[in-house]
Amino acid sequence: MSEESSRKLANESFDNYRQSFSYGSRTDLLFKFLKNGSIEEADQLIRQIFDQAGDLIDTGNPSELIQTITEAQKSAYAGAGHFQYEDKPFTMPAKPVAELNVGLLTTTGHFTEGDDPEPFGMKGLTQDDVVKMTSEFGKANPILSQIPIDTPAEKTRVRHGGYDIRAVERDRNVGLPIDRMRELEADGVIGKFADPAFSFVGLASQLKLRSRLCFEWAQRLKQSGAEAVVLVPI
Amino acid sequence: MPNVIIMSEVFKDRTIAMNPPRVLLTRHPMGRPLSAPGDRERQLEVLKAGLELLDSASEGGTVVTFDKPFRHGSSAQ
Repeated sequence: MSEESSRKLANESFDNYRQSFSYGSRTDLLFKFLKNGSIEEADQLIRQIFDQAGDLIDTGNPSELIQTITEAQKSAYAGAGHFQYEDKPFTMPAKPVAELNVGLLTTTGHFTEGDDPEPFGMKGLTQDDVVKMTSEFGKANPILSQIPIDTPAEKTRVRHGGYDIRAVERDRNVGLPIDRMRELEADGVIGKFADPAFSFVGLASQLKLRSRLCFEWAQRLKQSGAEAVVLVPI
Repeated sequence: MPNVIIMSEVFKDRTIAMNPPRVLLTRHPMGRPLSAPGDRERQLEVLKAGLELLDSASEGGTVVTFDKPFRHGSSAQ
């Protein structure tokens, strides 16, 4: 490490340190929430994680550590947010689930090999690229990718600048349960699994999504034959 | 179109404020709404619980928590 880097680290405040995990010098999408809440809470959480990591070495059981991280995320994102609605839309399915054609739509940012949505007309964007482009994505129209339900796992791609994609890279069914839906169709739990499934990057302009795109996307779902839909926001 | 949302409880407050028709919350960390990677059994359980809401919910704003805790990779095999 250079002298300059050492000097910068020595002079860095803890507040800057914790904020650097959110699209800063230490970007970590699993821990970007550290910027929320108080400095004291961030300090307490980091010490708790160290303590439970120590326990993990001895016990081999990460359950408490996972619970700590989940609770901290929950606390960091508590509260109603920007979008609050009074009405409660509700439609009953026309048939029991066992007879329904059920679609799947997720915000995970999946697409198929050879069908890159190429946001902003850019080819070959990587995960690292889109993490650096979150403000652009937040203002843009999301692009809905269709994923034929017989797409093999190795032909599925995921790219999303808003969350830690490691788990869905290891197993797409963590957020895009395409294989499980096919099994439920085969077992008769659902009448049919609508083909294709759909996915988009949920880090997008919510106003554009609400005012226009949602109507177009509902039509695409209907065209797939879906009579009901499972939605998975990541 | 009838729909059910399956998601991590991390964003519970924000989602409930929008009054969607049916929500199944899982006690899972961000980025892992159905399960840990490789936990096929849990993925099926969560999906079945969500689909059950399509049959059982009778009004908008129905929120149910899937009560089983997140299973980490090695314990889920």
